[in-house]
Amino acid sequence: MIASFWPIVIVDVGGSLLMIVVSFLCIGLARRLRRIDPQNVIWTYLFWLCLGLAGFAVSRSVGHIIKQALVLADHKEIWADIRPFSGAINTFMFVFLASATLFFERVWKVYEQIAADKAALQSAHAELLNLNQNLELIVSERSQALAVSERQYRRIFEVSRDMVAVVDSAGIIRDLNPAGCRMLGFECGSETPRGERFQSFFERPAEWDELLASVLRQGFVLNSEVVLRRRNGAGMHALISASLDRESKGSDSSVHLQVRDIQERHQMQEQVAQADRLASIGQLSSGIAHEINNPLGVILGYTQLMLRSEPSDSERFKDLKTIEKHVRHCKSIVEDLLNFARRAEPKKEKVDVHRTIEDVLSFIRQNSGSGRIDFQTDFDRRIPPVVLDEKKIKQVLINLLMNARHAVGARGTIRVSTAWKAPAGPLEIQVADDGHGIEEKHLKHIFDPFFTTKTTGEGTGLGLSLSYGIIRKHGGEIRVASKPGAGSTFTVVLPAQENPQVKPNEAFDSDRR
Amino acid sequence: MSKETAILRNLSIGTFVVLAGWLLPGAALAVQEHGAPEGIYLHQGAHLFFVASMGLLIYWLRQRRLVREPGWRYIQYAALFFIFWNLDAFAAHFLDEQSDILDTLPAGFGQIRIEIGDYPAALAWFYYLAKLDHLLCVPAMLFLYAGLRRLLKDAGETREGAGPP
Repeated sequence: MIASFWPIVIVDVGGSLLMIVVSFLCIGLARRLRRIDPQNVIWTYLFWLCLGLAGFAVSRSVGHIIKQALVLADHKEIWADIRPFSGAINTFMFVFLASATLFFERVWKVYEQIAADKAALQSAHAELLNLNQNLELIVSERSQALAVSERQYRRIFEVSRDMVAVVDSAGIIRDLNPAGCRMLGFECGSETPRGERFQSFFERPAEWDELLASVLRQGFVLNSEVVLRRRNGAGMHALISASLDRESKGSDSSVHLQVRDIQERHQMQEQVAQADRLASIGQLSSGIAHEINNPLGVILGYTQLMLRSEPSDSERFKDLKTIEKHVRHCKSIVEDLLNFARRAEPKKEKVDVHRTIEDVLSFIRQNSGSGRIDFQTDFDRRIPPVVLDEKKIKQVLINLLMNARHAVGARGTIRVSTAWKAPAGPLEIQVADDGHGIEEKHLKHIFDPFFTTKTTGEGTGLGLSLSYGIIRKHGGEIRVASKPGAGSTFTVVLPAQENPQVKPNEAFDSDRR
Repeated sequence: MSKETAILRNLSIGTFVVLAGWLLPGAALAVQEHGAPEGIYLHQGAHLFFVASMGLLIYWLRQRRLVREPGWRYIQYAALFFIFWNLDAFAAHFLDEQSDILDTLPAGFGQIRIEIGDYPAALAWFYYLAKLDHLLCVPAMLFLYAGLRRLLKDAGETREGAGPP
């Protein structure tokens, strides 16, 4: 067969050139791939494979081109010398390329392993990131909840009407709520007793030692009644509950205190106890007075009969007069006792309270030598006429004003004022002086019959007890507030409208409630 | 045994070996000779090895389903054309070596004569076409280029996770 030689030559030379060009283009692409991701082992593998392919293309194509050139130039003998070298190089490149291709699977497995590890790392990273973000969210939510809770408890601490205090084991006040500051007589904002010893506010410091010992021993103390002393020295009855906080920060424990002011309740209890005591005394006194009153009447009657038959200048007449005088004094005391015991019903009529007070003040000014005493009045003119036993009320007012005058001494101020809680409230008559005041230990006894701080002969000790009985009989009450050295204030509370359906004691009790 | 005695003994053995080789000459059979056919056998074997490796590459690409991606699919086509080219070259080389069957002679300017004796004329045409082997290896290279280009494009689109699927 005879055929054209040129197709073979053209395809061989052209193909060889194309092989070289395309192989180098492949190297360029593989290089760009590797630049995109230098860590990718597959791209690195492809790059080196392309390098080997280019080497194969160059060695083979150059050999073919040289062959065609030498054949066409009729130098076959030269090609015969070169041919073994070209063939050997081509063979070597085949083997290299085929061997490199066999590594593809191994390289791919390495790539897969790296990719799997990378994915696992990314997944773990994402999971950690997500967890971290969630943790931040959870922590943020918990923090907000804690802040709300803290605000709530802080609010309870601040608005509590009872004292809430935290003291350390040495008894030093570490924290105190506003109610506690006020209770101890401090201004809440500017000054607090923080840092002071809580024991210093105890009337009897030993009570604090006992309380602290109990708390440390059993962990808590419930409703222990103590007397605290305010900053201004005034006493205050209080109930203390305490608990030991062993979980406080640091090694030191702290004691949490809750203190309730029961001063008012205590005073009320004292008033009730005093009323009961006075009622008992009144009952006893009235019994005795009733039994003594009749014999005294007989003694007085016979004394007066004997006086009629005796000449007025005789010694016997004088003796009988002395007997008569003392019997009358005794009868006066007995009548006072009976009045205190409420055996005698008041004779009630509509009375202008202010006119009654003015009458009494006028009487006091005229008969008690009180020229250097300043009597002041402050009347609530809205008070309507009130149903009262005017004589008895005058007697009460005289007692109170005489006591006030005695308290202020030669010079001072006595102030009488009235007030009315319209329209159905009680009316109040206050007698205040700036005298020497009453000691606290005497306050609970001043309404007791025969209790007096005056010297013998100046008073019988029946004035206030009599006044107490009269006011109770009117369904009212009588209160006293006093501070030694600063004066006393007696307050008479009377119902402004008479209610015949309500017994006096009940009226007093209901008003007290 | 003293040190001097050992040295003298080793020198005696060496001297005996050298003298025996010089006095008793013969063929040195320790290194095998390599004649002309070994080169073509090695070359043909390399072609078959190339065929096998390309076949394995196609197998792996398909087994791992990489051929779903256009880039690797083009590389699979490149491997397939390299197989065709290797088989073609193997056949051409084989026929070149069969001088008793086939011979090529110049037949004027730009003409060649292919002598095949009593064999069918198709053999001459097969040989002629087999000589145009670049028609197989150049497409193989072009498919490789197309595959790399597509891989580069895909990797560029997913730069964050650049890499084969």
